[in-house]
This record gives sequence, C-alpha cells and structure tokens, in this order.
Amino acid sequence: MNNWNLNNKQMEQCVNCPVHNIDNLVKLGINMSNFDYVIALAGNPNTGKSTIFNNLTGLKQHTGNWPGKTVARAEGGFVYNNNNYKLVDLPGTYSLLSTSTDEDIARNFILFGKPDVTIIVVDSTRLERNLNLVLQILEITDRAILALNLMDELKRNNMSIDLRQLARELGIPVVPMEARQKKGMDELLKYVDEVSSGKFICKPRRLKSLSPKIDNAVNELSKKIKEQLPNLPNTRWVAMRLLEGDQQIIDALNSGEIGNLEPSLKHAEEPV
Amino acid sequence: MKNYTDITNRANELRWEIGESFHDSIIESIYSEAAAISSNTVKTSKNKDSYSFDAKIDKILTSKALGFPIMFVLLALVFWVTIVGSNYPSSLIAELLLDNVHPWLKQISSDIGLSYFVDGILIDGAYLAMAWVVAVMLPPMAIFFPIFTLLEDFGYLPRVSFNMDFLFRKAGAHGKQALTMAMGFGCNAAGVVAARVIDSPRERLLAIITNNFSLCNGRWPTQILIATIFIGSVVPVHFAGLATAAAVVAVALLGIILSLVVSWTLSKSILKGEASAFSLELPPYRPPRILQTLYTSLIDRTLFVLWRAIVFALPAGIVIWLVANINIQGISLAEYFIDWANPLGLLIGLNGVILLAYIIAIPANEIVIPTVLMLTVMTARLSGIGEGAGVMFELDSIKDTTTILQAGGWTTLTGINLMLFSLLHNPCSTTIYTIYKETKSVKWTAVATFLPLIMGFTVCFIVAHLYRLIS
Amino acid sequence: MDNEVFTTLVGFLLLILLLLFFLPGRGLFSKWKRALLDSKRVRIEDALKHLYDCEYNNTGCSLDSISGNLSLKRDEAAGLIQKLQSLGLVSLGRDKIELTGEGRNYALRIIRVHRLWERYLADETSIHASEWHERAEDVEHILSAEQADELAAQIGNPLTDPHGDPIPSSEGKMPVKQGVPITQFCVNDHVKIIHLEDEPKTIFAQLVAEGLYVGQHLRIIEISEERVKFEVDDEVIVLAPIIAANISVVKFDETNRVRRNLKKLSELKVGDGGLVVGISNLIRGQQRRRLLDLGVVPGTKIKAEIQSLGGDPTGYRIRGATIAIRKKQASQIFIKEINE
Repeated sequence: MNNWNLNNKQMEQCVNCPVHNIDNLVKLGINMSNFDYVIALAGNPNTGKSTIFNNLTGLKQHTGNWPGKTVARAEGGFVYNNNNYKLVDLPGTYSLLSTSTDEDIARNFILFGKPDVTIIVVDSTRLERNLNLVLQILEITDRAILALNLMDELKRNNMSIDLRQLARELGIPVVPMEARQKKGMDELLKYVDEVSSGKFICKPRRLKSLSPKIDNAVNELSKKIKEQLPNLPNTRWVAMRLLEGDQQIIDALNSGEIGNLEPSLKHAEEPV
Repeated sequence: MKNYTDITNRANELRWEIGESFHDSIIESIYSEAAAISSNTVKTSKNKDSYSFDAKIDKILTSKALGFPIMFVLLALVFWVTIVGSNYPSSLIAELLLDNVHPWLKQISSDIGLSYFVDGILIDGAYLAMAWVVAVMLPPMAIFFPIFTLLEDFGYLPRVSFNMDFLFRKAGAHGKQALTMAMGFGCNAAGVVAARVIDSPRERLLAIITNNFSLCNGRWPTQILIATIFIGSVVPVHFAGLATAAAVVAVALLGIILSLVVSWTLSKSILKGEASAFSLELPPYRPPRILQTLYTSLIDRTLFVLWRAIVFALPAGIVIWLVANINIQGISLAEYFIDWANPLGLLIGLNGVILLAYIIAIPANEIVIPTVLMLTVMTARLSGIGEGAGVMFELDSIKDTTTILQAGGWTTLTGINLMLFSLLHNPCSTTIYTIYKETKSVKWTAVATFLPLIMGFTVCFIVAHLYRLIS
Repeated sequence: MDNEVFTTLVGFLLLILLLLFFLPGRGLFSKWKRALLDSKRVRIEDALKHLYDCEYNNTGCSLDSISGNLSLKRDEAAGLIQKLQSLGLVSLGRDKIELTGEGRNYALRIIRVHRLWERYLADETSIHASEWHERAEDVEHILSAEQADELAAQIGNPLTDPHGDPIPSSEGKMPVKQGVPITQFCVNDHVKIIHLEDEPKTIFAQLVAEGLYVGQHLRIIEISEERVKFEVDDEVIVLAPIIAANISVVKFDETNRVRRNLKKLSELKVGDGGLVVGISNLIRGQQRRRLLDLGVVPGTKIKAEIQSLGGDPTGYRIRGATIAIRKKQASQIFIKEINE
C-alpha cells in the first residue's frame, strides 16, 4: 500500500524530472555532478553551432566558415532560472545514418545519453538540406528545439520562412536566431527551460513516406520490438537500424541497453 | 534477461527481401519530406534574385581572366605582410629576450652563485632555446594565422580549393590540400591540424604526410641566409639579390612539386587501402568578424602551436648545451659525434656539424642555424666569436657568418645541399607529435617522419656526386 | 675521381636493391609474406570452395574440374580429395564428390571471408576492381571467423559482395540462388543485372571494361548464337554469347523506372538544371553515402552553377547548397533534363 503511494508519487514527479540517462552519460565521458539538465547541440557543419555554444557558455571555441571545425566533443555549463545546465556540443554532421566516427558520437549521445533537450541548429538559408538531419534526430528523440540560425543571411538573400508553419510541420519549437549578433538567445533559453522541465511537450514529426515495401518491413519489425519493449519511444527507428544491419544497435538490443532506454520500466523498478 | 534473437533473425530475413537499396531508399524518403516541408515554409521573394551577390563574387573568382591572378596576388600579399610585418617585432623580441633578459639572467645566476652546470643547462640551454623559438616563431604566426583565418571566415578559401582541385585530383589528393599546404608555409604543425577539414581518409592522410614539403616559417631564414652566402656570392654583384631570391623560390617550388609527386605515389601505393570520397561544399560568403577572429586564431592556432614548440624546445636546449659541454678526455660529445658523422655528411655533400644540428635542433627549424654556428665555432676552434660552448648565437653580419662557415670547410655544394636538406628532412618534433595526435597511428607518423628524411639523403647524395663529377 | 664514381655506383645499386625488396606486390618482402601462408591448408580450402560453387550452381563436380580449377595434376587432385575425405569434409559417391555438412560449413566460412573482403575493398578502399578478387583469395585463408564478424559489423553487415553474390551469414545461411544468365531471356525483356561472374578473370575484366555493374538495367535487343545485343544507359553493347553468359539477371518489373533517355550529370552545362534519377552502383561506400547525405537522391532538382578554373569539379546547386562534385562522380549520376 505504502509502496503503491510511493510509486505513484514517483511517476508524478517524473513528468518533469530529468529524462537523461545518467549512467550512460557518465559512460560517454560526461561529468554530471551538480547538473540538473543535459542539453545536446546538434546540426550540420558550418551552421553556427559553435557560436551558439560560445554564447551560452561563454567559452571561446574557434568558429569558422568551414565545414567541420568541431572535431572532438566540447562541453560547458550554464545557469538559467536557477537550474544548472550541461551543454554538449556534438560534432557537426550531415546525417546520423552513415558510418563515420563523428556521426557515431552524435548518434550515440542522443540515443543513449537521452539529453533532456536536443537543440538542432540549422542554416536557415539551406533549410531543405538541413532538414535531413532534423528529421533523423526527431526519429530518435522526443525533446528537441529547432534553432533557425543565420536569419540575417536569409533576409539578405530575399527569402523568408513561415515559422509557425515550420513548427507545426515538425512538432517542435522553432526559434529564429542570429547567433553572431546574439539575437534569439532569450527565446532559445525559454524553450530550453520549458522543454527540459516538461512544460512544453513536443510532438515530433516521424517519417511517413517510406516506400511500401520498406514500410511493411519496418512495421512488422517494430511491432515485434514493441511486444518485448512496450514503452520504448522509438521502436520504428530501432527497427530501421536493424534493417540496415547496424551492428551497434543489434549489440545494444541483445545486451539490454536498448531495453534500458524504456522510461517507465526504470522507474517502476526503482522503489522495490 | 529478455531474448531478442527472434527479432534479429526476422530482421535478417527482411533484409534479404528488401535488398541492398534500403539505405538509399530511406534517405530518398527523408529528402522528399524535407522538400515538402521546405516548399511549404520557405518563401523566396519573386522580384529579387537570391544569392545574386554570392554569384557575382563567384563569377569573378572563378573567371579565367581573374581567378588565378587574384589568388596569387592575395597569397603573395599574405606572405609579404607576414614577412615585412614580423621583421620589426621579431627583432624587438630578440633584443629583449636574447640581448637583455639573457645577460640579466646570467648576472643573477652569478650573483647567487649557481654552479657552471646548472647555469649552463638552465640559462644557456633551456632558456636560450625557448627564447629563440619565441622570437622567431611568434610574430610571423601572429600575423599569418589571423589573415588566413579572415580569408577562411569570409568564404574565400573553399573557392581556392575548388579552383585548385584539378591539380590535386591528378595527384590523387583533395583540393583542400592547397590550403593545408599554404598553411604549412606558416607552420607545418598548423598545416597538419588544418587537414581536419578534409573529410576523406585517404586524402587527409596525404595532406598530413606531405605537409612537411611546404617550406615552413622556421626554414625560410635558413634558406635566405644560405642562398645569400653561397648562391648570391658566385654571381656578379648586381645579380646577387636576384640569384638569391630565385634560389629560395626554386626550393619552395621544388617543395610544392614534390608534395604533389609524393601524394601521387602514395595514393597509388601504400594509401590505396584508404577510402576516398570527394565532396566540397562552397559556403555562402559571410562578412568576417575581425576582432573575434583575431582573438580565436591567436588562441587556437598561434599560442597552441607556440606552446607545443616551447615544450619541445626546453629539453632540446638542455641537450644542445650538454653535448657541447660534457667532455671526455678534453673532447666534447658533440665533437665525437661530428668526427664520427663527418664521412657520412661529406658523402652527401653536407658535414657532421649539419647532421648533428638537425638531430639536436629537432624541436624547431628556427634554431638549426644558431646551433650550426655554435658547433662550427667549437669544432673549428675559432676564438673570439660566439659566446662559448653550448651557447647558440647568430651574427648580424653576413660577412662574419660567411667567415665562420668557410672556416668550417663549407663549399658551394654544402650550401646547395643544406638548402635541399632543409626542405627534405624529418618534420620538427612539434609537427611529428601533432601528426601522431591527428592520425593516432604510429605507422603514418613514421612514414611522415622518415619518408622526407630518406628523400633528403637520396637527393643530397645524388646532387653531391653530380656536382663533384662536373667540377 | 675514380673513388667518386665508385661510391656513386654503390649508392645507386643500394637504392635499386631497396626498391626491389619493398616493391609492393612483387617485391621480395611481399613474396616472403605470401610464402608464410600454409599452402596445404590453402589447397584444402580452395577445393572446398570449388565444391561448394558446384553445389550452389547445380553443376556436377569431378576430379577433372577440381584439378582444372586448382591447377593441379590429376593424381595430386586425387590425393587432395582423399585427404578431404579422411578429414570428413567430403563424401564420395559413385560418380560424384559431395560436401559433408561439416565440409559445407567450412566452405561457407571461407566464402564469407572472401566476399566480405571484396566488399570491404570495394567500399572502404581505393583499390581497383581488377584487384579485389586476387586480394580476397589471399585474405580468405588468413582471417578468422571472429575477425570476419568484426569486419562485417564494421562495414554494416553487407548482404552481397560487389559482384552481386550473396555473403553467407555468420551462421552459414545463404539465400536461394537468384538470377539466370542473360542468354536465357528474350528480345525486348527489361532485366536487371544481379551478378557478374568474377571467374575467369579475363571475361570479368571485359565486362567491367564495358562499364557493366550490378544493379544496372538492360533492355535486350538481340539474342542469337552469334551475339547478344542489349541497351544500357543509352548505350548499345554487343557481346559474344559465351561472354554474356557470365551476366546473371532477373526480370525487372518496375517498368516506370527503367532508365531511358537519361543524361549524365556531367553533361549538364552551367546554368542548366536537371532532375536526379539515380546514382550508379559504381559509386559505393563512403562516396555514395556522402552524396546521399548531401541530398543527391532520386527526385532532387540539381543545377550546374559554377565551374572551377580547371574545368573540374563543377559546383552544383543541390537543395539550397552549393556542392562541388568531380566529373568522375558526376558521370555516374543520372538525370533527366528539365526546362524551367
């Protein structure tokens, strides 16, 4: 009886308790002492990720007009609304599906570290190309914010973006930014707070236009996974990785690491 | 624990049914959705053309008439500004650290009564090597890197790679190697780090291994000094300047040609096993932010490289002092080695002093000439020049330097071969360490270290014998 | 003076000796490395591979075929078979030689390594197609099953080798054989290449030289005893039937995607636009993934925007970004021209 109460209380708290997976984060080399939330910074190369990272943390990483500056992973911290945030700058990649060290680092961090928010920085002048990565990240995580950077360049080139429509299509907050002029940082921080604390619930877009043959296979497999792991949020993505023969995911499934990513499973076990 | 084998087994069956096109198909689906979202949200103003500004600049930079001239003028300008601009601060730092702080330190040490050995190791050895490296290295790097970074931030450098790619493609390399090479003219260690922007494994290794063929900042003074003494002096006086410049440029060009030839050879032989993929994004032009760039390039590149160089220079300074001062039966270690290495040195048109100098001055090419002078004075038993055993020095007068070198038995052949050997020898220890850091491979570090050394010995050997056969 | 000439000669001689020793592939060093291979085991494994091939293709195996395939004398081949039998790897019927279960597993293990290695060379290295087979022939006897599994995981557990042959799974599972020689189809059939036989080498080299590769779509124009004629990527190729028989194909039903009247991206003039129809399978591994990631997928609008000073590469406008692609790759990307 007491147990039930406790259990219930835990579940309640967990609406806004951090979602990140602390064990995995430590395994991934992140020092997590004294941090409430973990924020990942992802995006294509040369989109201004490092500039946003520097704006938030006050560190000075070199940012250049060259794809591929951040080779290793950089991390820093900041405080907002009395919460301590850990910010992790992931390597800039065009995709998470191919096989390169950079993409593995970025993918594994988002999947296994389960950051409380992933900020996806995109170059607004090259939105279509950048959406490739955005849609892939939204397959993995529920909690993301789109930072639409380089809005000044967009205007300079006589283009505009319908922000509300974009937010509706993607199901996540969209923040227009000019990171080099430090514009848009306040709104970004506001959404970081709301998404990480669970006040804002994202409904991320998931791929719908797979070819019929592939769609059938993905559905069949993800149904099978769901039978075993009913609370795993991204079964379709796991199914797609299995169909691609991704050994890391196959191993992670067999070793139970994927199973550990189920949110409520973990909390249900804890009180015992 | 749960068993997932039926899931993975089924996945394998399904993979055979779908076939190998799975990855292609997924990306195709993602992009078709991306295109749909983008067309729903991005509006381009009808009456004005977007990217007209970028297109105009690109048209000029890739035009047949202006493309190459602009590139050469810009690069020449960067080098000119670097050389001219660093002259004054370099001499200022040298004056401060070598002519003022060094005697001052000596004074203090004699006041507090430091023993001869401690004084020599710390002040004449470690401090002097460090001071030398800072004085020669810091100003040019502090000027060269920020200008380079500004061009990079503006978006010009990717266009250079784009335009130069045809040359590098033929060598099995990537157009971006043009940039790592240019960076190498500033500092090879920085050039090696810059190879990160090449995302194809084979091409990146090529850029790293061949970067040493770019004549770095520390080797230009050697080239100019030796060319003045040994090339400029053999032609009529009013052609001396021209001949000197031509000789130095010829060596630098030889470096560029060799880096292409070596790239080609490696890509056809030991690097065949590395994957190769070409893609080059041409980013939009963006106005560079000057202050931020100055700050970050100073921190990221200049101080980063300088720090590594200092760390290596300190112990080397100690070694240099020790080999000149540890005596066995009245003869120093350095002299033993020089006597032993002299036949080999002479065989390849150099001498024992030069070989020893290149071994103990491995941390930085900047201290090769001071070490050579010190060792020459020591072995030739000249008196009244220099500051004693183990103390590196340089002379303001070219004539005096010539006298010392001639007393050491140098000929025109020694001069020519030293210029060649200065181009073709192992990278400095800072660069070697950086290559290891970047490739994380002992094998490629060894290739990058020994390949130029072997080439240097071979070339010097051939030149020496041709020269002797002719004369 | 004489001394000088002498040392010069000695020096050059030394250099030549060094070169001879380390010459890749043919130098003494690599010969010595190859000699380290256990030649007896190599023979056994080659024989098992040959037996498995016969079984998979439903062609009978005989003493002659073994001695021919392994270039052994008849009595040597007979000795080898006896050895295989004593090891329990084959059983001898009245007029045929069959693999035992154990022998089949052994063979599949070797074939797995061979095909994985070919795939690895094709995807992850710059080694030319003509060298894949020979290199894999060496490696198949060296790599252990565990190392093979690691390699497979590393390159994304591929299903087929670059010739289109299926790679057996680590448990020794192999899909049913698909595809028949092109010579068995009729005029006007649309077919897709699923396999190019890599032995004998001379024939494979000819097929590669014709520009054929797995995944290509063909339309058959003529089949007769003298020649086989078909259309591929807007080119007509004529082959002798004996050579064409080394191309295995399946009937292709997605008629809407048969590539006709296509242009290559490299043919696009600056200022012109096109619609990507597909990337040829000759672009593999990292290069293919890179192009896909940058948005070069079927349906992508692409415009030649700017040409580099050397004439190659060309900058293309692809999904809002300008990407430089070299002619070599651009000629493997197929497009339809569009007029805006």
